Amino acid sequence: MKLETFIIKRLFLMLIVLFGVSVVVFVVARAIPADPVGAILGGNAPIELVDEMRRRLGLDKPLFDQFLDFMSGVVRGDLGVSIKSNRPVIKDIAEFFPATLELAIVAALISIILGVPLGIFSAVHRNKLVDHFCRVFSILGVSMPVFWTGLLLLILFYYRLGWLPGSGRVGIFTVMPPKVTGLLLLDSLLAGDFGAFKDALSHIILPAVVLGYSATASIARIMRSSMLDVLRQDFIRTAKAKGIGRRLVIYRHALRNALIPVVTVIGLTFGSLLEGAVLTETIFGWPGLGRYIVNSLLLLDYPAIMGGTLFVAVVYSLVNLVVDIIYAALDPRMRV
Amino acid sequence: MRKRVMVWCLAFLSCFLFASASFAAIPKDSLVIAADTQILISLDPAVCYETFAAQITEAGYSGLTHIQPVNGVLTPVPALAESWDILEDGTKYVFHLRKNARFSNGDPVTADDVIFSFQRLLSIGKSPAWLLEEIGLTKENMNETILKEDDRTVVLKTKPLAPNIILSILGGSWGGIVNKKVVMANETNGDFGEAFLQDKSAGAGAGPYEIVEWKRNDHILLRANQHYWGGEPAIKQIYIKDVPEATTQFLLVQKGDVDVAWRVTTEQAAQLRDSPQKGVKLVTVPSQSNEYVAMNAQWGPFKDERVVKAVKYAIDYDAIIDSVLKGFAVLNQNFIPIGYFGYIEMNPYKKDVEKARQLLKEAGYPEGFEVELLTNPTQIRMDEAVLIQSNLAEVGIKAKVTTMPASEMYAKFRQQGHQMILAGWGIDYPDPDALAKPFANYRVKQLAWRTMWYDDHAADLAEKAGLELNDERRLELYKELQEYWIEKSSFALLYQPLDFWVIRDNLIGFEEAAAGYSITFDFTKISKK
Repeated sequence: MKLETFIIKRLFLMLIVLFGVSVVVFVVARAIPADPVGAILGGNAPIELVDEMRRRLGLDKPLFDQFLDFMSGVVRGDLGVSIKSNRPVIKDIAEFFPATLELAIVAALISIILGVPLGIFSAVHRNKLVDHFCRVFSILGVSMPVFWTGLLLLILFYYRLGWLPGSGRVGIFTVMPPKVTGLLLLDSLLAGDFGAFKDALSHIILPAVVLGYSATASIARIMRSSMLDVLRQDFIRTAKAKGIGRRLVIYRHALRNALIPVVTVIGLTFGSLLEGAVLTETIFGWPGLGRYIVNSLLLLDYPAIMGGTLFVAVVYSLVNLVVDIIYAALDPRMRV
Repeated sequence: MRKRVMVWCLAFLSCFLFASASFAAIPKDSLVIAADTQILISLDPAVCYETFAAQITEAGYSGLTHIQPVNGVLTPVPALAESWDILEDGTKYVFHLRKNARFSNGDPVTADDVIFSFQRLLSIGKSPAWLLEEIGLTKENMNETILKEDDRTVVLKTKPLAPNIILSILGGSWGGIVNKKVVMANETNGDFGEAFLQDKSAGAGAGPYEIVEWKRNDHILLRANQHYWGGEPAIKQIYIKDVPEATTQFLLVQKGDVDVAWRVTTEQAAQLRDSPQKGVKLVTVPSQSNEYVAMNAQWGPFKDERVVKAVKYAIDYDAIIDSVLKGFAVLNQNFIPIGYFGYIEMNPYKKDVEKARQLLKEAGYPEGFEVELLTNPTQIRMDEAVLIQSNLAEVGIKAKVTTMPASEMYAKFRQQGHQMILAGWGIDYPDPDALAKPFANYRVKQLAWRTMWYDDHAADLAEKAGLELNDERRLELYKELQEYWIEKSSFALLYQPLDFWVIRDNLIGFEEAAAGYSITFDFTKISKK
């Protein structure tokens, strides 16, 4: 199969997945035995006010009609108006997504920078002290709850040591750089404002480390096992038999082959970092999309839930598509 | 290999050192608050309704009156209106505006602005609109009831209600007067500037502060209004930083990076109360809500008043306050909270197992009965429910606790589908009428109706007290109503919660600012050492 055909086929499959996601989210949101109008107006609101708001939001229509309204909006690029913020959902997403994206990018970078070398050291020094350390580190990373790690690091690095700030994207008195991309690190560099860059960097370190820790652990584990597999291969033995130096064997022959499954994990991890940042965002007061969606869930803000979830699904699917395309480009057998 | 590891480590360390924080001290004329702002929907006085949003909105917009504790009782006092006359048996209010009343952009506050603000509130028709309807101003009659006498005089033609009701309602955040010129210049699609005022006041408010911006999930910035009629406040800038996690709020205030942690947990507050720390202190005031158990008066055993009373004697009120609320509540078994006109201290019920058993026996339930106790799954409610369940078990009543989301629980309550419910009531305006109606008058189809306590004597007293123009006679009526209600009603009121804040100890006047029982918060009282 040609690469172009492969991409078109994957795009078509992506549309089906997104439609499926819409249906599932719509049904699940409606299946929650709670009343969004009651959640917004409170339990003590007069019944007339509740009925009036239900009519105004179109919640008195049959479910199928509500779904059709939503889908016809999606096709036109309109995700509806948030019940809570009273603004177009797409505008809310545009406001909150850059913060989550920036956090996810830095967390992904940290997890790659730490996870790949840890996995390599661990495999190369199998069953030695460094391997044991890496394995404990990985197990802790995948098993410790994010809120616990987050609070622990917050108490240590902010409260006890005072090395890093405790909350938000920048300091209260920092003048923000002009918004270009919404990514503060990038925007401050573009504006040549190194003070703001330093401030934004200091604010992102703790949440990014917390968010990236479990990803680091996953990458390190996959890297280790993949590296161990490759190191057992015949061509490595042959390379060693030829008298090639140990470092060359590891970094030139083994690493390149061992990285292939890790690329997939990194792609998937990036997707999960985007959609899984809610606890980190809550602990560190990070104004991201995760909190927006969860707040919408708590208020049963249907348009925001649907729009936010669909957006995350699109981003997740696109990341997977890119990973698949890279894979297919590298290995034609994948295009089948 | 070692060299590479060293290079990696150095690279990381230098990145860390480069980024490590240099914290700026908070200036003396600024106040930084850490708060969870996710509850906020709008900062437009015609839309906002929740307590915290209302407190911020009140800082941005002055009303004709303002609510203030006077000798410990919440009282409407002059604000934009320096005085008023009550005429025609309490159905005509003539408000005289202050000469020096100006919006934050310097425009004078005129009668046209006042009329526009009330008509705008009714036309938008969001949550607070019913409060104006309550006093007789509606969308349909607003051209005949909200009138201009001259540029500085406004006339309201209301229902014949007790003046404290009218003036208290006008003193809420929804009574904030907006600048007609600014609002209409920013109107889109006939929305009366609703979208414009959602996240800023931008010259449209005459309160002590201008709402400069609300960046959702990030911060709200208020700046002192130099044209404020009451004089520019000592704190020139208020920065409300969105910090959703209570533990983070607590750490930030302890480190001095914020001046106020707006909402810490009861555990954290108790920790600070029991082991005071240098640099921070705890401030508590009674809150504007109360917690109740309502028994469906038309359901099975609760049809008998003696069973209802047995439940009231079975509950261990002190244990709920001490163990669930960690002491952050005050015992108040009446429906009028402490700090409100008409409050009398009357707490006749104490846990008395023998008495409860005797009452059940007299009612024909010596072995007790089974009942469903409905509540919503917040930690406090669940802890209370479990405690009440065990209290009831001691007298033979087997309560099954059912939890469901608040919206679902209240929907069931509205349909009178409960047997017994544990819930709370937030107060809309600081007058006993706001409580007598829901708790005692089934005809308004609020709590008494929901719990099917159809008592005409209580309903008559509540109505009569709401119409009484003379304060002394009104006090007498509420006294009679409370004494009757506490004896006969189908409610067991558990407590009035306390609100608490953790603040830096260099703040002056915070206690005074917070003294409005959470129904109002006066930022102008705060300054710094």
